[in-house]
Amino acid sequence: MITQSRRRFLAMASLANAAALVGAPKPHAADAPPETTTIRLAKIPGICIAPQYVAEELLRVEGFTDIRYVATTGAYQHEQIAHGEVDISLHFAAPTILAMDGGAPITVLAGVHVGCFELFGNEDIRSIADLKGKIVGVQGLGSSPHVFLTGMASYVGLDPMKDIHWIFSPSVKPMELFAKGKIDAFLGFPPEPQEMRARNIGHVIVNSSVDRPWSQYFCCMLIGHTDFVHRYPIATKRALRAILKATDLCVSEPGRVAQLMVDGGFTAHLDYALQTLNEVPYGVWRDYDPEDTIRFYSLRLREAGMIKSSPQKIIAEGTDWRSLNELKRELKG
Amino acid sequence: MRAALIATLVVLAGAMLLAARDAVNEQPRTTADSEQALPTIGAAPGFTLTSQDGARVSLRDFRGKVAAVTFIFASCSSTCPLLTAKMAQVQDELGSDFGTRIAFVSITVDPEHDTPEVLKRYAQTYDVDRAGWSFLTGSPPLVQEVIRRYGVFASKIGGGDVDHTNLTSLVDRRGMLRVQYLGVRFDPEEFRHDLLSLLDEP
Repeated sequence: MITQSRRRFLAMASLANAAALVGAPKPHAADAPPETTTIRLAKIPGICIAPQYVAEELLRVEGFTDIRYVATTGAYQHEQIAHGEVDISLHFAAPTILAMDGGAPITVLAGVHVGCFELFGNEDIRSIADLKGKIVGVQGLGSSPHVFLTGMASYVGLDPMKDIHWIFSPSVKPMELFAKGKIDAFLGFPPEPQEMRARNIGHVIVNSSVDRPWSQYFCCMLIGHTDFVHRYPIATKRALRAILKATDLCVSEPGRVAQLMVDGGFTAHLDYALQTLNEVPYGVWRDYDPEDTIRFYSLRLREAGMIKSSPQKIIAEGTDWRSLNELKRELKG
Repeated sequence: MRAALIATLVVLAGAMLLAARDAVNEQPRTTADSEQALPTIGAAPGFTLTSQDGARVSLRDFRGKVAAVTFIFASCSSTCPLLTAKMAQVQDELGSDFGTRIAFVSITVDPEHDTPEVLKRYAQTYDVDRAGWSFLTGSPPLVQEVIRRYGVFASKIGGGDVDHTNLTSLVDRRGMLRVQYLGVRFDPEEFRHDLLSLLDEP
């Protein structure tokens, strides 16, 4: 599904030839064609958003002909969407809510999977509460790890601003600072946890794929620029369908998806990619209510003083579950 | 005379009770049915391809029947055997409805290699009921277009393998696409139930 390898290129060329023989490809028959055939998705260092990395051909099936991956940092992906540089993308729930509270034109469309992040700590840390007085590294203020950790600390009764010594490190990855013993804890996103385990460094305080309550809420949600969602409702639904199909592919064929991510240049390590696909619960998009996730993280961030909006306001103004609800009925698995 | 009158009244009362019971039963069933009815996605993409017996087969040939349309290839060693075996299991459970009121259609994603003869051997492997299950092939561009219009991705990846998504579509008696099953892990009982629910629709 990624076109960068020679094999992929040849496969695409044969597909293009086939299409030429029968005329312009018609999109998936069910709905009207998408209002736009161009779509821009984010490409970040993290690989938990695997579904959108392997959705390219499924997006073509839906009628998109110009599919672009815009390189961005996972920590601030919402900014690219808010600025209109990315149309639709998987992104982390908590920082998305923070951006929406700040007025960013973002619409949340679906919850996709749970279990991205893991909190790593040194031997002095056994629980989130032990972060009190400790040095925690994040890429920057308002970055995804910072926002998630703030919510987590707030949930256990800490005052994240006062009780934690934050180290903001945009140039050196917090994971590397942790490996060198310069910080006490950090929040890792795939493939970082997989790499930490391979290097046998630190231990996991919270694994959001299994530890409650974090495992009960989506970490990655599909979000879109509000203008795109409003102007192109059919394209939005088609993009959502392609990405949800790809999400199911992550469950049914993790080996194939891992290889596609490596071939496509989205990650260098096949083993970490495969571990990620086997560890992150990708099969829950039908099961959990995404509104619960928005409500949960809105409350956490409000407790921490990071947002002012009520969960109801965020949900009312920044979510649109119509396509998701339709697809839940149309696509069984 | 009096006995006859009493008997008539008893019969009338019984009939009224039965009617009342039916009315009570009817109302919630209608509500539940409407809540549980499968969605209507749109008109199912049409096709005219060649069966394992060399016959021309079109989607419109299945009008009046409920059809399950899926995509496989004969030399597939990973997911297709699971999917075909699952459908064969459901075929057996459908009994006399299979073939007469319900049809399965498996379209190859490898038309270059899956000739009617190859598909015939493949069908025999799974002991399929030929009266109700068509395995279809055709010219590669034509098949590719059908694949695309059903929302399936398929691409050759060398070594005789075809990279493809598993997607099984249910088409109702009017030719409308109603629901799609992703992958091969779907519940065969739910699949069978959905097929039968489409049969029950007016």
